[in-house]
Amino acid sequence: MADALIEVDDLSVRFGSEHGRSLRAVESVNLQVAEGEVLGLVGESGCGKTTVAKCIAGRITPSAGTVRFDGRTLGRTRSKEDRRAIQMVFQDPYSSLNPRMSVRRVLAELLRVHGLVQRAAIEDRCIELMALVGMPRDALDGLPSQFSGGQRQRIAIARALAVEPRVIIADEPVSALDVSVQATILRLFEDLRSRLGLTVVFISHNLAVVRHLSDRVAVMYLGRIVEQGDREPVFRDPRHPYTRALLASAPRLHQVELVRPVVKGEPPSPIDIPTGCSFHPRCPRAEELCSRDRPGLEPVDAGDDHVAACHFRGEKTFVAEEGP
Amino acid sequence: MTPLLEVDGLVVEMRRQRTAFHAVDGVSFVIERGGALAIVGESGCGKSLTLRAIMGLLPRGGRLVSGQVIVDGVTLDRAARGRGRGHNQSQRMSIVFQDALSALNPVSKIGNQIAEAPRHVLGYGRSASRARAIELLQLVGIPDPERRFHAFPHELSGGTRQRVMIAIALSSDPAILLCDEPTTALDVTIQTQILALLAELRVERGLSLVFVTHDLGVVSQVAERLAVMYTGRFVETGPTEDVLATPRHPYTSGLLGAALDVDTPEREPLAIPGSLPDPLRLPRGCRFQPRCSLATPECVTTDVRLESVGPSHLAACLHSEQVPSARELDGRG
Repeated sequence: MADALIEVDDLSVRFGSEHGRSLRAVESVNLQVAEGEVLGLVGESGCGKTTVAKCIAGRITPSAGTVRFDGRTLGRTRSKEDRRAIQMVFQDPYSSLNPRMSVRRVLAELLRVHGLVQRAAIEDRCIELMALVGMPRDALDGLPSQFSGGQRQRIAIARALAVEPRVIIADEPVSALDVSVQATILRLFEDLRSRLGLTVVFISHNLAVVRHLSDRVAVMYLGRIVEQGDREPVFRDPRHPYTRALLASAPRLHQVELVRPVVKGEPPSPIDIPTGCSFHPRCPRAEELCSRDRPGLEPVDAGDDHVAACHFRGEKTFVAEEGP
Repeated sequence: MTPLLEVDGLVVEMRRQRTAFHAVDGVSFVIERGGALAIVGESGCGKSLTLRAIMGLLPRGGRLVSGQVIVDGVTLDRAARGRGRGHNQSQRMSIVFQDALSALNPVSKIGNQIAEAPRHVLGYGRSASRARAIELLQLVGIPDPERRFHAFPHELSGGTRQRVMIAIALSSDPAILLCDEPTTALDVTIQTQILALLAELRVERGLSLVFVTHDLGVVSQVAERLAVMYTGRFVETGPTEDVLATPRHPYTSGLLGAALDVDTPEREPLAIPGSLPDPLRLPRGCRFQPRCSLATPECVTTDVRLESVGPSHLAACLHSEQVPSARELDGRG
C-alpha cells in the first residue's frame, strides 16, 4: 500500500529490564492504514493493542521501529501539527474529562491554545462541535458529571475533533457503555468518517463491534499481529487458530448450546514468551514444529492481502476442532 | 415439592443526595433445585443489589425495606444474613463477584482463603480443611493444586483468580451460587472456560445458579430462565429462548436490537432512544414509557405489572402483542 496515511514499520516496545528480562509488549508490528479507512485492532487484554495505539499517537516512544504519517517519519518529539493530527479517544470518559471544567472551557481552551479559530469565533465553533457529536448547545455549560456515559463519550469525541485531526485512535470507546447507547456512539463514528473523511484506528476486544465498523482488521496476540486482512476474509475464513478461537468464543444472542472452550489455559506472561509460535501452548492445532519455528505473517493464499502467522494457514478447517 | 429458593417482594432502599429511593422495587422469583436464572439489565437497574440483598450483603446506605428470602422452605432471618463473609450455612448460598482481585484477601494464601469456610463454617479440622481446599482447587480446574495452595492472589491471572473465587464460594458446600457478572472482566476465551466450569458444576453437583449480567450474549449459555430488569423491577421473565426469540416487553426487544451480532455485521444496531431515568424522578406509569415507541396515553396512567403472556412467560407491558420479535428485528435490514 503506497498511499497509506499511517505506516507502522517493525515496531517494538519493551518495558523495564530487571534482571535482564524485559516485558515485550509489542514485537515487530507492521501496519498500514489508508486515508479514510477504519482499521480494527483486536485482541485480548495485554496483547499490546493499546501500546501500538499509543505509539501511533506519540504517547509512547517505541524501543525500535518507526511510525510514518503522511509519508514522513515521526520523530521522538513531534511538532504541534503532528500531535494535533492524531487524536485519541479513551474507553472511560469519566476519567478522561476534567471534572471541574465545563464542556465550554474544555473546548475553548483547546481552540485557543492551538489557535485554530479567531477568538471571536470560538463560541460558534464550540456550538458546531456539539452539533457534530449530536449534543444540544446548552450542554456546553455542563460539567462532565452531569452527563450520562454515552453523552460523556460524545464530549470526549468532540474534544478530539476540536483540533481538526486527520486520524482518531479510539481505544475501546464503547466498552464501558451500556448496550442501549453503544449503537449511538458507533453510528457517530460511521457518521464522522463519512462526513469528515476521518481515518480511524478502532481498538476493541469486541469482535462484533469491530466487524461492524472496520474495513480492515488486525488480530494481535502477545505483542504480535497474528492475522491481518480485509474484514470479511478474516471473519469469514480466519486462518490463525487464535482468530478462530476468538470468533468461537464471542458471545452470541441465540447461542443455545454451551460453547466448548477452544483454547486451553491463559495467555502466558509477556516477560516469558514461549519459543516458536507464541500461541502454541494453547493451540488445538499445534505440532512439534510450532514450538521450534515461529511462523511469519504470510499470505494465506499466494499473492493475497490476507495474512496469517501460522504454519497451517493453508488449512481451512482443523482436525482438532472436529474431534469429540 | 418446595422450591429451593424463593424470593418474594424484595424492596431495597438506597439513598442519593439524602433522598431515599427504591433501587430494587418488588423483585420476586423462584428457583427449583438445580435450576438457573439469568438476570440481565443495564448499569444501575438494581440487578447486583438484588443479589446482595438475597445474601444480606447490602452496601452501606442500603436497607432491606421488605420482602422475604426463603431457602428450602425456611424463611431467612434478616439478622442471620450477612454473617460468614459470603457464606452462610443456614442459607446454603454463596456469592461470586465480578472483580476477584478486590474480593480476595491480598495478604492471605489462596489455599487458606478457601479453607476458611470448611474450618470455621463447616467445622472441619486443620488438615481436613486443607485437604478440602486442595480438592476444590482441583474441582475448579486449577492445575497443580498443592503448589497453587500457597499462591497469593496477585500472583494469579484474572481467570485463575475467578476460579479461586468460585472455589471459595463452593467451599461452604452451597446449593445455590449467586454470580454477579463473574465473567465481565475476563477475556472471551477465558469467559468460555468459566461458563463451561459453571455448567459442569450444575450437572455434576446439582448446583443452582442466579447469574447477573449485562451481556445478553451469554445468558442462553448459562440459564434456562431469564429475567430482564429495568429501574429496579423485572419487566419480563420467561424461558430464556422464548424471551430472546419473542420478547414481549419493548425494553427486551430494544436491548436485542441494540446488541451487535458478530455473525451479522450488516445489521445496524438501533439504540434505545433517551436514557435511563433518574431514580429520584421516575416516570409515571410504565417506567419505560418515555423511551418506548409503542407507548400510548394508558401507559402513563397505568401502573403496569407483570402479567402472563405465554407459558411461564410474563411481561409488564400493555402492548406486549406488538413488541417486535427477534426475527422482525433481524429482518429490518
